[in-house]
Amino acid sequence: MRWRLVKVEPGESMEGPDQVYDAQLSKGMLMAKLEDMIAWGRSKSLWPFNFGLSCCYVEMATAFTSRHDIARFGAEVIRATPRQADLIVISGTVFRKMAPVVQLLYEQLLEPKCVISMGSCANSGGMFDVYSVVQGVDKFLPVDVYVPGCPPRPEALLQGLILLQESVAQERRPLSWVLDEEGTPRKLKTSQRDLRTPERMKATDLAGPSTVGDAPLSKDLLRAKSPRTD
Amino acid sequence: MSEATIHEAAESPGVVGELRARFGDDCHVQVTLDAIPTVWVPRERIKEVMGFLKTEIDQPYPMLYDLSGIDERVRQHRDDQPSSDFTVFYHLLSIDRNEDLRIKVALAENDARVASITSVFPAANWYEREAFDMFGVDFEGHPNLRRILTPPNWKGHPLRKDHPARATEMDPFSMSEDFQDSQQEALRFIPEEWGMSTKAKHTDFMFLNLGPNHPSVHGVFRIALQLDGEIIVEAVPDIGYHHRASEKMGERQSWHTYIPYTDRIDYLGGVMNNMPYVMAVEKMAGIEVPDRAKVIRIMLAELFRISSHLVFYGTFAQDVGQMSPVFYMFVDRERLLSIIEAITGGRMHPSWFRIGGVTQDLPDGWDTMVRDFCDYMPKRLAQYDKMVLQNGILKRRSVDIGAYNTAEALEWGVTGPGLRATGLEWDLRKIRPYGGYDQFEFDIPTAQNGDTYDRCVVRVEEIRQSLRIIRQCVDNMPAGPYKAHHRLTTPPPRERTMQDIETLIQHFLNVSWGPVIPPSECSVTVEATKGWNSYYEISDGGTMPYRNRIRVPSFPHLQMIPFISRGFMIADLIAIIASIDFVMADVDR
Repeated sequence: MRWRLVKVEPGESMEGPDQVYDAQLSKGMLMAKLEDMIAWGRSKSLWPFNFGLSCCYVEMATAFTSRHDIARFGAEVIRATPRQADLIVISGTVFRKMAPVVQLLYEQLLEPKCVISMGSCANSGGMFDVYSVVQGVDKFLPVDVYVPGCPPRPEALLQGLILLQESVAQERRPLSWVLDEEGTPRKLKTSQRDLRTPERMKATDLAGPSTVGDAPLSKDLLRAKSPRTD
Repeated sequence: MSEATIHEAAESPGVVGELRARFGDDCHVQVTLDAIPTVWVPRERIKEVMGFLKTEIDQPYPMLYDLSGIDERVRQHRDDQPSSDFTVFYHLLSIDRNEDLRIKVALAENDARVASITSVFPAANWYEREAFDMFGVDFEGHPNLRRILTPPNWKGHPLRKDHPARATEMDPFSMSEDFQDSQQEALRFIPEEWGMSTKAKHTDFMFLNLGPNHPSVHGVFRIALQLDGEIIVEAVPDIGYHHRASEKMGERQSWHTYIPYTDRIDYLGGVMNNMPYVMAVEKMAGIEVPDRAKVIRIMLAELFRISSHLVFYGTFAQDVGQMSPVFYMFVDRERLLSIIEAITGGRMHPSWFRIGGVTQDLPDGWDTMVRDFCDYMPKRLAQYDKMVLQNGILKRRSVDIGAYNTAEALEWGVTGPGLRATGLEWDLRKIRPYGGYDQFEFDIPTAQNGDTYDRCVVRVEEIRQSLRIIRQCVDNMPAGPYKAHHRLTTPPPRERTMQDIETLIQHFLNVSWGPVIPPSECSVTVEATKGWNSYYEISDGGTMPYRNRIRVPSFPHLQMIPFISRGFMIADLIAIIASIDFVMADVDR
């Protein structure tokens, strides 16, 4: 609605009721298909399961806390039971002894469910090609997004989450009990490296390792002499 | 090793002489680089020897610090030792003497049996199970000798030289329904197997399975609880869900390329883990590290101690019910990690130490960042004192919960803040300064009651002491090289590889094959974030360790959980677990 301040004079009328109604219509209503709304809503309200395996979980927990704040992406409702969650982040090494437990937890997640594989170990076994480690969680779980790193920075996990949200937002699930096909096809995964390489190759000025002032993270530290209150 | 040195060691006074006086010629002395007296005794007398060392001897050895095995079957260089297929070694610690002692027992392949010493040292229970699991050594008289790290239905003993190391050497992993069912069935907790009854005179016990995935067990860790109402009657910790085979890994990585694996042991400790490993290799290689490298190492290790303690502080408060503190502590940790990142390029696992020094010199401007942090942190800590330590609810949840005294701590192999919380001033950086710590001024924080609250208080005070050390590092950073000029320094200083062909050849060899470390044995311990962390390295004159034993502090700490939680409620158990401050990689490796 449009607002304005006018001096009210007796006998003078304000804008007519029709105009107010039109303004209301253009601002406060949204026309969309129900399935689009549901896809949008789902993508912005993924509920992660509070689950961690090893080092990566610490970076995942860091993504929950203040500086990174996963709540900005609508995924802060972290549940302690798989039966209330629809996203599992496999954050860490998948051990042979733990794999049946991971499988059981995955089965208990609410449908439709998503899996983010976080870190090199979960992606492929990483540096641990060793008897006690499963060489990648995709040996037994369907993975939606792979986040590389050992461990990935919290920012990388958040990027993975955004990619997952984009993928979920494009999903159209049948809304009636009359189902046509089994399951919903999800978009093919594209490699971010391939997508971003041309843009990254344009970079010409890189911060050298010998001076810390250039590093983006330290810049604000050097500037702020007085303790910040964040 | 020359005859003269062996003779000298045998004649020396101290514990070796005392053992000789008691057990006569049954003792065979081995000389190791770490100067820890190492004595081989016949396996029939092991219990007697342990009893003697723990109780009868003057200035006894009250702590079983480590126990594991060595598969000697393909080792070439061991002329100075009795013949053995499987060796079991026992590492003891004496507070009164401030000395370690290593006892070894030789076993034959077809008769790998030795008496259990659990009746002498209760802490031997888990260590013997681990040695059984990894080497197939039978410990006779052990109360419940079963696998501890590998799944219950695992075939073979991984640390035997004939067990495959790589997952890709074994059948590909697949999860059939049958496999999942059989694995789950094998993990089922059966009270009778642990000597528990399901009912008492007036009550039926309830059994609760906590873990292996539970928000407050800090990783993949499981405890089976026998409950009378909400009171814990008995607890059975079950570990091995985080077994990453780091010891086996050492036997196939070169001395140099193993460094990144150490970072991932105590994954909150970062470069602190590199320290004992590279120090052990340097001792074996005969490298003297320059002063600048020593101070850089200490500074980074202390920064990581603060980082680890901050995670502890926040999660401890959270586990006893305070939601907010963890957010503050993680912000501080981010600040700290930005310094780590500026210096090393990494956050959690920089793998920044090298054999003979560190990766590269400090960047320009590092001192401003570190000084800023040292100015900033104390005010925050003062704020946290009010928010956490003086909070009435937190106190009621943690004071007098899960307490133990010094004697009990030693009995169970507790080191680090958990030991100092009982009042014993026992910090390796002071009592046996290593890597340059003798040059720094700092205090050893202690507390008196050894309860959950005190363990927190000690760690908080340690953050302040670490800040003191870090400030001294900034103020007195020595000039000079950050790497030793030694042919086994890996990689050698870059300027020299560009100038002289010999260094370049060494560089090629060290990178392609790895440095060759002379045959020797050496164990180095540091005061890590969670307690004492040792790397016991055995070289057979190759480019890879022959055996790489990692003694981690959290393994015995978890073993103690039943002892300190009986009679408490489940909520108290959560507080106790939080106060131990462990990560599962530091338990299962």
